[in-house]
Amino acid sequence: MPKSKRNRNGAIALLFLLPYLVLWGIFAFVPIVYGFFISLHKWNPIGTSKFIGFQNYGDLFRNPRFVGALWNTLIYAAWAIPLILLVGLVFALLLRRGQLPGGAAVEAALFFPYLLNVSVVGILWRFLLDPDVGIVPYYLRVVGVDPPNFLNSPMIVLPTIAVVSAWWLAGYRMIVFRAGLNAIPDDLYEAASLDGAGSVRQFFFITLPLMRPSILFAAILTLVAGMCMLGQVLVMTNGGPGTASEVMALFMYRTAFESFNFGQAAAVGFILFVIVFGVSLVLFRVLGLRSELS
Amino acid sequence: MRAGRYLRYGLCYLLALVWFVPVVWMAVTAVKPTPEVMSFTPRWIPSEVTFSHFGELLAKKPFFLWLLNSFQIAALATAITVVVTTFAAYALARLEWRGRNVVFTMLILAMFVPWEINSIPLFFIVKDLGLLNTFLGAALPLAALPVSLFLLRQFFINIPTDLEDAARIDGCGHLGILWHVIIPVSLPAYGALSIFIFIFSWNEFFWSLISLQRADVRTLPIGLKTLVGAGDIQYDLMMAGSFMATLPALIIFLILRRHIISGISMAGVRR
Repeated sequence: MPKSKRNRNGAIALLFLLPYLVLWGIFAFVPIVYGFFISLHKWNPIGTSKFIGFQNYGDLFRNPRFVGALWNTLIYAAWAIPLILLVGLVFALLLRRGQLPGGAAVEAALFFPYLLNVSVVGILWRFLLDPDVGIVPYYLRVVGVDPPNFLNSPMIVLPTIAVVSAWWLAGYRMIVFRAGLNAIPDDLYEAASLDGAGSVRQFFFITLPLMRPSILFAAILTLVAGMCMLGQVLVMTNGGPGTASEVMALFMYRTAFESFNFGQAAAVGFILFVIVFGVSLVLFRVLGLRSELS
Repeated sequence: MRAGRYLRYGLCYLLALVWFVPVVWMAVTAVKPTPEVMSFTPRWIPSEVTFSHFGELLAKKPFFLWLLNSFQIAALATAITVVVTTFAAYALARLEWRGRNVVFTMLILAMFVPWEINSIPLFFIVKDLGLLNTFLGAALPLAALPVSLFLLRQFFINIPTDLEDAARIDGCGHLGILWHVIIPVSLPAYGALSIFIFIFSWNEFFWSLISLQRADVRTLPIGLKTLVGAGDIQYDLMMAGSFMATLPALIIFLILRRHIISGISMAGVRR
């Protein structure tokens, strides 16, 4: 293409991109930089703020409650991300070929929870898991299992919230994965069965390698969302018992809007940004996903 | 082989049942007399159907206001997203220019930034813009989500160039090509994008909680949360509120099921 044409295209492209870039700049990019700026201050929303360097960060890492929140976030992520992806993938594989009678209804039932908002999900599961009147502990007792107090025991509360998140979100992953599965050409499987490969081998040598990019990409996006989980804990446990389910996002929210320590809250946000962005960037590069997306 | 297939069918039905039972239980509980709600043994068929919980809820909480607020924010976010990403996606997918790959790479990287973590600085920015406690302030950050632009760009880039060339020979400029060629063939993508952003905004929690602090601008998720705050737990009211919040989604889902699912499968980021 001639150079002048490219340059003119560049001007038009910039013009077309401008509205989005302005929005993205004001509401996504500037907040990251501004958040870092706020985190270096003893922030006073109405008066002058004092510059204190990295003191907020130092204070945070000396605060056992923050370290606990960081740890809780990692525990939740370690449970929730594999659960959401695995359940979504299993659903997608089960529903894959359309011959299941009533398949549309099954699909609808598995997907529907995704359409509930997080408050409904949290309220509903509080009720389902209630040690006195909840049906989950009731039916566990019926089959002879002594149910733990799901939302009130420090060891179990985070895995429980992860299971609830999987109930809520796995249907969405199912739909996305199934689109990927359906894009795999049938003749690959036909050729494989002619060569005598059973369904297990077909899964490991055809399905999994071809699904790898979309699974990994879904994993990164689930990680990004999971590390910032707030709604579920806020509605179901409010961080409790004690601070056993206080995750980073909740700690940040409380630091800002209950303790009004905005500088430190911004520091929490920036730490979360560095962790999540850093991990996804490394995964993205190491796994070589860039070429898969263009 | 045959037995294996029936086993798979059985497993599917069982999973679907387990997955949907909580929603059924919510609906049943919402119309049960209170003593049966608090009974230690579950009663699947209530002795009588009562709508008193709904009445009590509506008397205590401005439920329909929440519903209306949520709807306005989701519609606003969807409309702004569609307009803004159309132009940006055209520039990224249909125009050749230096730096396009750089911008596209930045877009992908931006998807890895969880936008909720920006909420503290965003709070002050939106406050300085005078948009705190406004629907516009709640919707604009949602319209800046990079995922929307990515989705539309992925669709635009796969449109064959012949149509575009023909339009160019007929004397169409970029706006003409966009309006007469690209947008008409991309209607499924717009459907997918709108469904995706609408659901996302409808259920959005974190940013609404921070940007909408006045009671009269609360959205449905934030309003419902107020049902759990108060000391004593009233499951009958909580289930009535949850069920009422779920009903619009359920009705729309039953009508538009195929479109929503194909929209999500298109919007779900894949290769």
